[in-house]
Amino acid sequence: MSFFRITLTRSGIGLPKRTQGVLKALGLRTRMKTVFYPVTPEVAGQIMRVKELVTVMEVDKALTKEELRAERRPEPGFWVEKAVPR
Amino acid sequence: MFGAFRPTNSLSGGLLWKIPWRLSKFQKQRQRKRLRAVDTVVATVDKALAKHGITTKAVERWKEEMPCEQEMVPKDKYTIFDRKEKKYRKGIHKLPKWTRLSQRVNPPGY
Repeated sequence: MSFFRITLTRSGIGLPKRTQGVLKALGLRTRMKTVFYPVTPEVAGQIMRVKELVTVMEVDKALTKEELRAERRPEPGFWVEKAVPR
Repeated sequence: MFGAFRPTNSLSGGLLWKIPWRLSKFQKQRQRKRLRAVDTVVATVDKALAKHGITTKAVERWKEEMPCEQEMVPKDKYTIFDRKEKKYRKGIHKLPKWTRLSQRVNPPGY
């Protein structure tokens, strides 16, 4: 089971209502919003309607909201070192 | 010549819009980048569907009708057909929402 990872990179403001409706149906509300959908012809058709606005990747599993958040988190900049047992 | 009431273009003529008639090299570069981005999206969708052995009308039609960025001639990348224009061509930046549209093919012969 593979998924489309769809990220909205260009806003749909000012575009036809049909295009904005497709974005709404995909759950893409704001720019840089990422959603996951299974690879089906229906989803492919929806992506083709908004292909100028999104970036698409094919991934093996859908990430949860928390996993996406962890992906964006930067490196902490420090390491907690432990004493090596002798 | 100088002062508050000098005859500038906008004062003497009223409304003055300065939209250049052609794209700058940086606008052209970004235009190519956008064209390639759309090509990438279509290629990704097509490859993902091909793995499952399915096709979609929208993707098939795009592949049949639309040239990819490398196949396009510069004339089609940066200009668009217009019947009212001298020599029937105007800059693609005159097209409303031109950065978020796919305008690739023009009437044959023009």
